[in-house]
Parts: sequence; structure tokens; C-alpha cells
Amino acid sequence: MSDARPSPGRLALWTVCVALLAFLIAPILVIIITSFNASLYLEFPPHGLSLRWYANFFSSAHWIEPTLLSIRVALITMISATILGTAAAIGIVRGRFRAKRGLELFFISPMVVPIVVLALGLYFTFSGYHLLDTPLALALGHTVIATPIVIVIVMAALRVTDPSMELAARSLGATYWRALWFVTIPSIKAAILSGAAFAFLISFDEVVVAIFVGGPDATTLPKRMWETIRFEIDPTLTAISSLLTLVAVFILVGVELIRRAAAVDSEAS
Amino acid sequence: MLVLPALVFYSMVYLYPLSRLGAWSFFDNGFTLRFYAELFTEPTYFKALSNTLEISTLATVVCLLLGYPLAYLMATTSSSARRILMILVLVPFWTSVLVRTFAWIVILGNNGLVNRALVATGMADHPLKLLFNMIGVQIGMVHVLLPFMVFPLYGVMSRIDASVVRVARSLGATPTRAFLAVFLPLSLPGVAAGCVLVFLLAIGFYVTPALLGGPGEITLATMIDMMINTLLNWGLAATLGILLLVVVGIIFIVFSRLMGLNRLTGAGGEPAR
Repeated sequence: MSDARPSPGRLALWTVCVALLAFLIAPILVIIITSFNASLYLEFPPHGLSLRWYANFFSSAHWIEPTLLSIRVALITMISATILGTAAAIGIVRGRFRAKRGLELFFISPMVVPIVVLALGLYFTFSGYHLLDTPLALALGHTVIATPIVIVIVMAALRVTDPSMELAARSLGATYWRALWFVTIPSIKAAILSGAAFAFLISFDEVVVAIFVGGPDATTLPKRMWETIRFEIDPTLTAISSLLTLVAVFILVGVELIRRAAAVDSEAS
Repeated sequence: MLVLPALVFYSMVYLYPLSRLGAWSFFDNGFTLRFYAELFTEPTYFKALSNTLEISTLATVVCLLLGYPLAYLMATTSSSARRILMILVLVPFWTSVLVRTFAWIVILGNNGLVNRALVATGMADHPLKLLFNMIGVQIGMVHVLLPFMVFPLYGVMSRIDASVVRVARSLGATPTRAFLAVFLPLSLPGVAAGCVLVFLLAIGFYVTPALLGGPGEITLATMIDMMINTLLNWGLAATLGILLLVVVGIIFIVFSRLMGLNRLTGAGGEPAR
């Protein structure tokens, strides 16, 4: 595509961009390398290698209990956000009613509402129903944050699929719901799964709602990390950070594999 | 009909909670405007507002200056190089904000990587203060927000027809002139979308200013946390929340009217593609 011999301007552009990418990636690499440090202090480069901080994480209830809660909350969030978001996306894209644009705007708006404002509103609301400091409160709050991403991803997929297949199924006698379940949903399976994966990740990493509506009885992993960072620097945090990064990479790879499998599928049919 | 479950859910867990902010900000044993009066007369709150706007504006400008070249390279390079660039932006983008902020505490601290390197190489004779001040906040925020600038910019740039620039070149324009007169104007919708998105996210940002900022970087978001968790002043917390919500709402509505919503949501949907 580009010239065989890069121009000086092009070379300068690459240099700037490599530096920028180094800036983006460096913190993650530094944390991962520091997590294998054997000494009690956060040192880079590490003095001696060990897995003690990982062992510390996996062997202490102080960390494992919040982790298990985070997984539970993230799973509930994933299921509820995927169902609500997929249904809403299909309703908006395929439905025939006025104010579709307005509804779309409304459904996506939590993406730009500051999470701290939402968290404050949830704090007021849940305190009135004795829901503060419960896993349910966390899952409800996280679902509000995660649903828009499901909606955006599924809507994008729906807009490139051909509605005539659904119409064909309907004209052959399928009910609306059968056409939805056997034609529409399979054709956007990849988008739904991707949306679900991102919904899980958003909830698993979320900290602001967790700080406001969580408490001693419902402390997620990010909330425990937050409290720890504010009061001391515990090297166990580097091991946890590395594991969280691994989860994110794992999900990104998973989404990419889903996307490729779907691309192969659609070529085969 | 399919939108009903989401509509009900949003009404209960999104709209209703936000409306509670309004209730708490206007009522205190009957209707009152005293929280709003306090907000506009007490210099501390004005300072938090001006801090928020200052931090957000600076972060937006820095993100634009850094994000533009990166998006430009992504839009104009080969597809294999683009894939690698995209991965290198997406991995940090999806890594927890808390993790990345913590990483900066480790890197920028007095005994951190940057200061040790500066002192070791003699570029500084004592460790510089890079944390709990504006520098720390900006580094952390730009790191988190940069992808939000790059995605909409790249989205617009990748749709610019490369032949238009080539025509300008063949008509005798220098590369610089072809860029300034043809490519740059065509990329401006992306610039607008990226700046609005980054600014919107920046003014509501909580984690990074709270952890990397000092007492001089108190923002509306960290002030809300203080009101709830330390000062126990629900009315003022709600009022600050309303203020933040109004600022965000105005920008969001004006932008979506002017530019269409797709440019903003394209940023959120990008990682899925």
C-alpha cells in the first residue's frame, strides 16, 4: 500500500506512534513483571523472582472471598444485561414505532452518564429498600452499566443482517416468536456472545458502583483493591492486577474467536 | 414489545435513582433551594467545578494531540500493521481502570521506575513529584481516555477515500498541503466526536483523580464521594450530582443533534468488530 521507501514524515509518524503505544502498554507490562518480585517492596526491575504474591492471593480469604463475589455478580450481570440488551436491540432495529431514535438514545445514555452520579442515585434508592451492601444491589447497578454495550453490539449486527429471512420464515407460517428464536437470534449469535463477554468484564472490573452500594458484607474484588491502594501498597495487588489483565486478554481473544467462527459460518451458508 | 423489559428495568434502576438526586437536592423538610445557593456561593464547590473543567479540557487536548497521529497511522497503514496497532490499543482499553491507575502509582512514585531512571541518569538530582498532583492526574487520565479519542477518529479517517488525497498530490500539492487542505478537513467530524466523548467521560471521572490527584485536584466526582462517605451531606452530594448531570446532558444532547448519535456509539461498539 504505502511507498516502498518510507518518507521522513512517515518515519517520524511511526516513531511517534511507537512511543504512544509504549505509553499505553508499559504500565501493564511493568505491573506484570513487578508481580513476580520476590522482595517485600515494589521494585522494578524485580530483585529475585517468586510467585509469593500469587500464592498470597490464592491462599487468603481476604482476597478470595471478594473474588468469588465478583464472579457471582459478573455472571448475574452478564445474563441480565444480555437478555435485556438483546431484546431491546431487536425491538429497536426491527420494530415499527415512533420515537425509535429517542429510545435508542435513552438506552445508550448510561454510557455517558458519569458512573459516580449513577452510583449516588443507586445509593439513595437502595438505602430506602435495605438493599445496600447486598450482591443484588451490585448486580442491578452493573446491569445498568453493561446493558448499553450489549445493545450497541447487537444493534450493529442486526443492521447488517437481512430481515428478509425473518419475513420468509413468517410467510411460511412461523409465529413471530418462532421466527425470532430460530432465525433472528442465530444470525446474531456472535454479537450476543460478544456482548455477554464484555458485560461480564465490565461488571468484573467495575469499582465505583461497588464503592457506593457495596459494603462490608458485599465487597467485590475491585472494591477490596481500592481500599488497599488507598491505605497501603500491598505487593499482592500486582499479582491481582496481572490476573485481571489476563482475564481481559482472555475475553478479548474469546470475542475475536467468536467473531472468526461466525465469519466462517456465514461464508459456509 | 421487545423493548419493554429493558424499559421497565431502566425506569426502575436508572431513571428512578437519577430522579432521587433531584429529590435530595430540592427537598430538606420541604422544598428548598439552599443546596443550590450553597453550591454557587461556597468557593470550595466552585473550585471543584473549575478543577473538573480544567482537568477535562487539558486531558481532551492532550488526547487529541496524541490520538490524531495514532489514528492517522492506523487509517493509512497496511491492514496487517493496522491489526497489530488495534490490538495494542484494545488490550489497555479493556484492562481495568483501577489496575492501570495502580500501575501509574507504582511507576510514578518517588521510588518508582521513572524517578529512579531520572536520578540514575542525572536528569534530575532528586525524585520529582509526579503523583498526587496535576501531572499524575493527567498521565493517568490520558492513558485511560486516549483509546476513546482514537476509535472515533479512526472510524472517520478510515472512511476517507485515499484517492482524494492522491488527486491533490497529482495536481501538484505537497504532502503537507494535501494533508492540510484535503485530509484534515475531512477528518474533522472524527475530531469533534472524539473530543466530545473524551470530555464527557473526563468530567465524570472518579477513580483516577481520586487516586492520582492531591488536595488541589478535587473534582466534582471526588467531592460527591467526600459528601457521602466523609461529610454525610446527602443533599449537597445530590446537588453536585445534578450539576454534573446537567453539564453532561447538555453536551450530549447538543452533540447528538448536531452530529448524529452513531459517531459516539461507534466508539463503544468498536472493540466488538
